[in-house]
Amino acid sequence: MTSYALFLGCLIPAHQPNYELSVRKSLAKLGIELVDLANMTCCAPPPVQSIDLETSLAVAAYNICLAEEADYDLITLCSGCFESLSMANSMLKADEQLKAKINKILSKAGKEFLGNKDVKHYLQVLIDDVGLKRLEQSVSKPLTDLKVAAFYGCHALRPSELLKLDDPERPRILETLIETIGAKSVEYLNKLKCCGGLLKGYSDDLALSLAREKIANIARAGADCVATLCPFCFVALDVGQVLLRGKFHEIYDMPVLHYSELLAFALGIGSKELAITPATHKIKVDKVISKTS
Amino acid sequence: MMYDEEEKTASLEFSEVVTRRLGGETIRRCYQCGTCASSCPVAKITERFNPREIIKLSLLGKKDEVLSGDAIWLCCSCYNCQERCPQKVEIADVIYALRNIAFEESHRPNIYSDFASALLNDGRIVKISKFYEDKRPALGLPPLQPTGVDMLRKILSATGFDRLQQKEKS
Amino acid sequence: MDGVKVGVFLSDCGNQLSKILDFDDLTNYVKNISGVALVSRRSEFWRGEGLQTIKDDIEGGKINRVVVAESLPKLSEVNIVQAVEEAGLNPYLVETIDLKDHCAWPHRETPKEATEKAKAMLLAAIERAKLLEPIEKLEFPTLKSTLVIGGGIAGMQAAIDLADLGFEVNLIEKAPFLGGLASRAGRFFPTDDCAICIQSPASDVKTITHTSRKCVYRSGFSEIPNLTILTNSKVVGVEGVPGNYKVTIENKPRYVDEMKCIACDLCTTVCPVEVPDEHNAKLKNRKAIYMRVPNVYPPVYVIDESVCKFYDCAKCVEICPTRAINLDQKSKQMTLKVGSIIVATGFQEWDSRVIKEYHYGDNPDVITNLELARMIDGFGPTGGAIVRPSDRKPAKKIVMIQCVGSRDRRWNPYCSSICCMISLKHASLIKSAHPDTDITLCYIDIRTTGREHEDYYERAREMGIKFVKGRPSEISRNPETNTLIVDVEDELLKRLLELEADLVVLAPAMVPAEGTKELAELLSLELDKDGFFKEYNAKLRPTETKLRGIYLCGGATYPKDVPTASLHAHSAAVKAAKFLTTGKIVKDQRTAVINGDYCGDCEFCPVTCPYDAISLEETTEGHFIAKISDLLCEGCGICVGTCPLSAIELRHSRPSQIQAQIKGLMSVNGTSKPLVLAICCSECGHTAVDSSGMAMMKYPANVRVMKVPCTGILQVHQLLDAFKAGAQGVMVVGCKSDGCHYEVGVQKAEKKVELVRILLKEYGIEPERLEMFNMVYIEGNKFAEAAQMMTERIEKFGQLQLVGVS
Repeated sequence: MTSYALFLGCLIPAHQPNYELSVRKSLAKLGIELVDLANMTCCAPPPVQSIDLETSLAVAAYNICLAEEADYDLITLCSGCFESLSMANSMLKADEQLKAKINKILSKAGKEFLGNKDVKHYLQVLIDDVGLKRLEQSVSKPLTDLKVAAFYGCHALRPSELLKLDDPERPRILETLIETIGAKSVEYLNKLKCCGGLLKGYSDDLALSLAREKIANIARAGADCVATLCPFCFVALDVGQVLLRGKFHEIYDMPVLHYSELLAFALGIGSKELAITPATHKIKVDKVISKTS
Repeated sequence: MMYDEEEKTASLEFSEVVTRRLGGETIRRCYQCGTCASSCPVAKITERFNPREIIKLSLLGKKDEVLSGDAIWLCCSCYNCQERCPQKVEIADVIYALRNIAFEESHRPNIYSDFASALLNDGRIVKISKFYEDKRPALGLPPLQPTGVDMLRKILSATGFDRLQQKEKS
Repeated sequence: MDGVKVGVFLSDCGNQLSKILDFDDLTNYVKNISGVALVSRRSEFWRGEGLQTIKDDIEGGKINRVVVAESLPKLSEVNIVQAVEEAGLNPYLVETIDLKDHCAWPHRETPKEATEKAKAMLLAAIERAKLLEPIEKLEFPTLKSTLVIGGGIAGMQAAIDLADLGFEVNLIEKAPFLGGLASRAGRFFPTDDCAICIQSPASDVKTITHTSRKCVYRSGFSEIPNLTILTNSKVVGVEGVPGNYKVTIENKPRYVDEMKCIACDLCTTVCPVEVPDEHNAKLKNRKAIYMRVPNVYPPVYVIDESVCKFYDCAKCVEICPTRAINLDQKSKQMTLKVGSIIVATGFQEWDSRVIKEYHYGDNPDVITNLELARMIDGFGPTGGAIVRPSDRKPAKKIVMIQCVGSRDRRWNPYCSSICCMISLKHASLIKSAHPDTDITLCYIDIRTTGREHEDYYERAREMGIKFVKGRPSEISRNPETNTLIVDVEDELLKRLLELEADLVVLAPAMVPAEGTKELAELLSLELDKDGFFKEYNAKLRPTETKLRGIYLCGGATYPKDVPTASLHAHSAAVKAAKFLTTGKIVKDQRTAVINGDYCGDCEFCPVTCPYDAISLEETTEGHFIAKISDLLCEGCGICVGTCPLSAIELRHSRPSQIQAQIKGLMSVNGTSKPLVLAICCSECGHTAVDSSGMAMMKYPANVRVMKVPCTGILQVHQLLDAFKAGAQGVMVVGCKSDGCHYEVGVQKAEKKVELVRILLKEYGIEPERLEMFNMVYIEGNKFAEAAQMMTERIEKFGQLQLVGVS
């Protein structure tokens, strides 16, 4: 049984229990054990990096230390957490001087970063530990009629030198996983462009403009839904459509789901078990559910 | 050796200050090719933000314009620029470094001050509401593990983060 | 040392030096040194009557060693040594010192101290002279023949030069036809004339006058009698020494007899195999049997053996009217014996597929400059029409992108130097022929530095070619119109543009030609950090390599335009000619020599020698000892410094000779300051001391200077012995760390100084008594300051007390 320490982050337990449920239940069905460790904190994503990079590295390293102490590799569900933890892990492993500097800070909390564990996005676990073949075999309800627009977001892929998840210009991992569960992956314009999520709070207008372009392109490509990898992107595109209706009077009606939710459907886990409600999905996902049951 | 020059203790060139900051080490490699501006989703929709321009202003020493301005906070951290830069300038990280310097010098947009407070108080930048926490058993989720706020505060104190809390000077 | 009679000649430079140095005192002092047969004093000894007296003294049998204190010894010594040889004495029994720039001038404010130092300098020179031995000049025969590897413009030019000069020249080219990149380029800037134009040979080929320029195919160069051209051939093995190389060549079969082929083209009409033509950017196909158009040389068809069906078809064999096709031809190996080799293997376009956002390789309408050149060429696959490869429609909107993979830290950090002009050329040629074409060139910088290049740029602007300062971030495809969209920031306008294009032309980086790495290994040549062949020193010794007899020219060292490649080729030819013209290499035997009894076969020296001059020989007793080649040894002495058993000595700089100098220099103080020994390398260190004197700089007289060939010769115990000999401080003065004239010597010295410092500390001696200094000739001030600094430092340390040393 492959086991990972689960890093939840903040957004998911805060208001996306659907994401958490879909991942826990799918991975359990696929034979991956998730362990919850005590004393984790915020991963120190871009909002904290903007205030102080050194602090962010130390905080990220602290969380990795918890996994090292418990002897597990880490798995993340949020691309922001993936980027923050993965970058810290890579940077400290590569630079002895930086590692020493951060360890000096960590010593105040009684921790020491050793650099002997990996940080993975749950997608990587699906590919490496489950494998496409076993995944395909585990699918009991292939999502045959579903046209899915893959949305990576930014921080699953970039900076590619440190994250090494997939080719930053021509990624295939998400499309492959979408096709493995029986759905059809739909190409659309400017697929890899940012959703603008991180601009929210400083410039809601710009954030909304970027989300609008994304939704419009996906809609134009004729997708049935968007598959996201990150709670930030999810909110930007889901809640974003509500704001677009209000601001521009545009209705796209494009359901936004996490890839893990689609995966859960394909593995035979019903939407009722996944806390999929109008509260968690502002844009109704009924059409998707009916196509998949 | 005897021919080493003395370190100038007088004020440093702004671009030097940036190179000495974590994240800003590569700023001087820039030769203003504009690949970053062309790759930037934000620059495409507003003239208020242009990563090439921000770097140029910093290299020219226009410290006040850069740090007190609006531009550095408009980066959406998508890293497209850093990915494509032919001189391997870590542009997104340079912008973080500039934000860090700005924050230190009390240019603190409200939302970031709020993040800082949340981190110090709750150990998280987004508070987990009791509503959702209490619902977890009913939803079939294991109880939330405690957040390591105490240890986090020790780290934040060690880096001096705790002093960065005050709201923006207008 | 019996029978050694040293003649000491002191020049007072028109009595100028005697204003500072007490020449009577010096003369008396020298007279009393054992072994000195005579002391003489004049205004100057390096020419005129003074020189004659030296010759007379030698011929008269009065002296058999010569010590001269002369002005500017590095220049004057040449005359002196020549005269000594004419007088019948071995020219290496001469020692010259500089009492002017190394003594009188720097210490002019302390004349008494200067005189005492002069005594020490003379004693050192005399003791060294007593230990000098005669050294012979050796002759190594060289073959008067050359191999030129690479049949492009540079290779052809160099080959013609040498053949005209009367040398045997073999020109080999791995492709079936000569011409290299030029045969694809079409036209060359800035004159837009034919790419394959070369200077005709001066030899008597009937249709040519000595001023005419002809292209390769009608220059008659292939008829030059001592020029052999081998195409479809490459180098597979190299053995031997400079002047006598044995090169193994593999000759791939053409399957067509050169003597019978009449180039009638009937064979291609029946050949069933069609493949995309690489030479024509795959814009059209060719058959398995083919000839290039326009032809360069040889005018003979060739079969591509990777696609030919051979006897499963053989239609070409039947139809050939002269029965020229022979499918049974086999690969041949041949050996060439040559005296020198010229490498002219050129460069190629970098593969830009890795810049995925540009979609080169997966979008056919994104092409490179070289591919565009084929379209522009009237002989090319489209007959001169500029078309979109995807649908062959005319390309009316063209966007060109510069610096693709050049000036890029991720791929090739250097500037490829010719691409701005190449793109401007293409843009201009297209605009001239098709004025309604919209051309936009996106650049980071425009580099038009050569002769008439700026005019070219000006004309391009006047033709209405558009320029955008900005490097595009992405090329995408508009699926509706099947055109391309180029995202770029025009930074001068400060506006983000989306340029629409039918065709996008990339200017990729220029990188070393294929096979460069393998060839470098075969020839033991160094490559620079970008993978090009490394010139020994681009300023002082262009086209040369570290190995005598092997030269480089053309794009093989760095991308260059044709005028520069031409210069380079002619230069390499002159160098090769100089090397071969006398038919021999003359070298003196100031080389290293191994004491076989001490050699422990540790194998450090062969690895350390920068010139691969040391090999291992099996002895009759079955173990190995090192052996030094007098031909390859450059006399640096780095092996001497490397050998842990002191089994190697360098003639003319033997440890005994060095020791005698040190002792001499430390024998007389005459100042109130502690003695400091400065061991300087003959290239930069010693010349820096010269320049400090010439520039009338001052430093104290307790600093004593001696010369070694390279600081790499120094052994750890020699540095310690200097202290035992009386030095209170030691300076090791060499070239800059990355500028050693013998590659690695100064770095070795730096390591030894570090090690000796550790030892000094162990012995309870201040490690800062020993220090390494790096400088070049023009940094005389650095030497003076260093000498002053060391003196003050040693004064602070106080007297060094060595136990057990008298």
